[in-house]
Amino acid sequence: MTHRIGQILIRAIVTLLMVAILNFILFRIVPGDPARLLLAGARTAVTAKQIEAQRQRWGLDRPLIPDQVVDYLSATLHGDLGFSFKFRGRYVADLILERLPATIVLVGLAQFIAILCGVVLGLYAGWRRGGAIDQIATGASLALYSTPSFWVGMLLVVVFSTALGWLPGYGVYSPGATIGFFDGLLDHLRHLALPVAAVALGLIGQYVVVARAAMSDVVTEDYMVTARAKGLTNGQMLVRHAFRNAMLPVVTLVTLNLGYVVAGAITVEAVFAWPGIGGLTVEALNARDYPVLQGIFLLLGASIVIANLMADLAYGLLDPRVRK
Amino acid sequence: MNEWSFGRRAVMKAMLAVSAAPWVLHSRAFASSCDDHIVRLGGVTAPDTMNPFASWNVYWPLVFTYDWLVGVEAQRYPDRKGFAKEWSVGDDTLTWTLKIWPEMKWSDGQPATARDAAFTYNYLRGSMGTPDELSVGWNNTNGLQNVESIRAVDDETLQIVTKVPTRWPIDHHTMIVPEHIWKGISYADARGTFRNDPPLVGTGPMIVSEFQQGQFVRLTPNAYFRTGQPATAGVIFHLFNTADPIAQGLKSGSLDYGYGLTVAQWADLSKDSAILVGESPVDQRDYLAFNTASGDGAGSTKALQDVAFRDAIGYAIDQKVIVDRAMRGHAAHGVGAIPPTHANFYSDLSDIRRHFDLAEAGRRLDAAGYRDTNSDGMREDKEGNSLRLELITGSGSGNLVIPVAAVQLIAGWLGQIGIPVSVTQLDPGALDARTAAPEHGGGGWDLLITNSYPSPTPQDLLGFASSKQIGTGNRSFWTNAKFDELLSEIETSVDLEKSKELVDQAARLLYTEAPYIMLSYPFLLDAHRKDCIEGWGTQDILSMNTYFPLDRLKPVNQ
Repeated sequence: MTHRIGQILIRAIVTLLMVAILNFILFRIVPGDPARLLLAGARTAVTAKQIEAQRQRWGLDRPLIPDQVVDYLSATLHGDLGFSFKFRGRYVADLILERLPATIVLVGLAQFIAILCGVVLGLYAGWRRGGAIDQIATGASLALYSTPSFWVGMLLVVVFSTALGWLPGYGVYSPGATIGFFDGLLDHLRHLALPVAAVALGLIGQYVVVARAAMSDVVTEDYMVTARAKGLTNGQMLVRHAFRNAMLPVVTLVTLNLGYVVAGAITVEAVFAWPGIGGLTVEALNARDYPVLQGIFLLLGASIVIANLMADLAYGLLDPRVRK
Repeated sequence: MNEWSFGRRAVMKAMLAVSAAPWVLHSRAFASSCDDHIVRLGGVTAPDTMNPFASWNVYWPLVFTYDWLVGVEAQRYPDRKGFAKEWSVGDDTLTWTLKIWPEMKWSDGQPATARDAAFTYNYLRGSMGTPDELSVGWNNTNGLQNVESIRAVDDETLQIVTKVPTRWPIDHHTMIVPEHIWKGISYADARGTFRNDPPLVGTGPMIVSEFQQGQFVRLTPNAYFRTGQPATAGVIFHLFNTADPIAQGLKSGSLDYGYGLTVAQWADLSKDSAILVGESPVDQRDYLAFNTASGDGAGSTKALQDVAFRDAIGYAIDQKVIVDRAMRGHAAHGVGAIPPTHANFYSDLSDIRRHFDLAEAGRRLDAAGYRDTNSDGMREDKEGNSLRLELITGSGSGNLVIPVAAVQLIAGWLGQIGIPVSVTQLDPGALDARTAAPEHGGGGWDLLITNSYPSPTPQDLLGFASSKQIGTGNRSFWTNAKFDELLSEIETSVDLEKSKELVDQAARLLYTEAPYIMLSYPFLLDAHRKDCIEGWGTQDILSMNTYFPLDRLKPVNQ
């Protein structure tokens, strides 16, 4: 078991190193000069001197190989993600940490709700195949799974914010309102409601479909027939045999999706003007802000690698065959 | 068969939850009302710092906090003055005297004097030639090379002496900053990492008091504003990546004003009785550029360097149809380099103007030697190669987007005259890379459809054809000694009438040489609600190069 964990960890570290190197190469292949883009919006004549000044300021005048790549890898290994071009020298780590909570709250809460609702509903639907709940849940889930979350978000805004006026359609809180802690918390929750719903609805659909299919497979297995023949009750069969086996694909999906929590929901963040990692990615991409993009993608890579690691470990706990 | 069943307890829980919903949904914080007298604005913009020396991307919202010394708008509108109340130039046409508003104060109560203005310019000038020259942001050294000296004669008098005659002292848009805040900031910090965090100190009507990057900017009324404290309780400027939340915010009442709307959103909002929509001419120009470079970066054919070829193509483009069909009427159709917003310099060029006529375009191409000699439906250039052009397109970062339909129309018309066109749509970064100067890897394309948003000064409006700006503003790589000479004369002209004459000559030369063909001057679509705030003005937009109208907005019925 220890040997297996060691192998998994080494694989994860090598993957992260590859992600870091690919980050550096990929963003520089994309056409676009950050020094020129930093002057975008200039309404007077931009001179070659100004462009050169930007290059010098942000170290872009130095040779890509080896100077820039060596600096990048060395700094990254020391935990220094560098500083942003677009945000005028702010540390990338600070920028990411500033935006991360908004994304974690939004996507984390949506994942939590989706896992809770989706997995339970999916497993139940699979257990009671053909029933009313199964039919409704499966139909609705397929629809939600196949609908882009930004589109769901736009519909939610139109209905609950514009038409009914119940909930705010953008932002994290109401700036300028002089309110106490409790009202402030409620205000934040109201701002969270629609974006969380937009992300969660699609995920619920995904979880229901996968959990239902897993459970449907399990209930037709021979060992379930044997269990029934041995006289086990429905509850005993569900808990002791069906649930644990059906959870294997669900755990994979859940852990992989958890890896995407930090990546945010770029399109949903755009619809709701949510100031998270998704919004930061768009802004950095438009400005060819390499350090910020590298930082975000390294974080994303790390979170997915860690999620995979968790999935591997969870598999070991759930399935004795893997442990061997 | 499964059955649906709900226990009484579950029903009770559901009822309780539903009854709590209105309380949650309508607590005080979210309730949108007019009572707080705060103006809520929405725009598609993403300022990255509050430091005008470090970034160009600060116009919103710093235009409300800092004044220009004079600026173009102050010369047009008597009620939109900047830091200076009056100005004049001496008989030598070199010495400018600007009278600063008497008794003016910064928003922190400190006196705002000519010494602050002198500091701002001398701070910039002091950086010139140093490794940390302040040349990267909105406040930059551009134009100061023509300045001999800038000094405060007394608290209310600023004197600018220029090396050559120029209108720069009143036409530029440098933000005047307070000496007592900025005097300790090094040049390296000013053009780099100094963020100028709020609360700011300015002389404009609304002072930035909070900046949440990617979310909003909060501004508070300047109690010391020279014409009196604004009547509203402040401004929340919401920052968006797309216009969708703006349109929805206007409808729901959570925004009072929004700009950058799409045509569809604008049309939808126009049906709402609580909302007044507007469309305003701005300084943006959409244009077709020919790659006139020879040698490195040249296009696929030498025809692009031939005036007769470019002129003929001009007859194959119907600006009126582009505006009516692609832009659904929300633009003025393109003519020359100067948009009609610039009444002082605009000319409709009626005596030399081309009119859409595909047959005429064909005749001119024939006459110029670009015929279809092998009857394959494609014209050949003078070297015998088929004319098959690559058209790249994309909008500048932050500019109003050129509709795809406009590009398709042009490609269609060129196809009809025997010049097939392949279209490549690019994002701002890739577009910028392709249109960089040939020595920086740019060029290689044939036609370009894009836009620019110059400042409202004649030298900036015409600068996109200057040989000095090849690969930066000049994307057609066109050079013309006569044009450069005219531009130089414009830059060193103080007399407005003389400037008008020179601008007209330059605009005509540019039109006949046709390195660019203007397609349209798009309108900025905006809307405001009528229920909470009034005083928006008509046929004008928020902050068209000044703090207007945040100085005069007031709560309805106040």
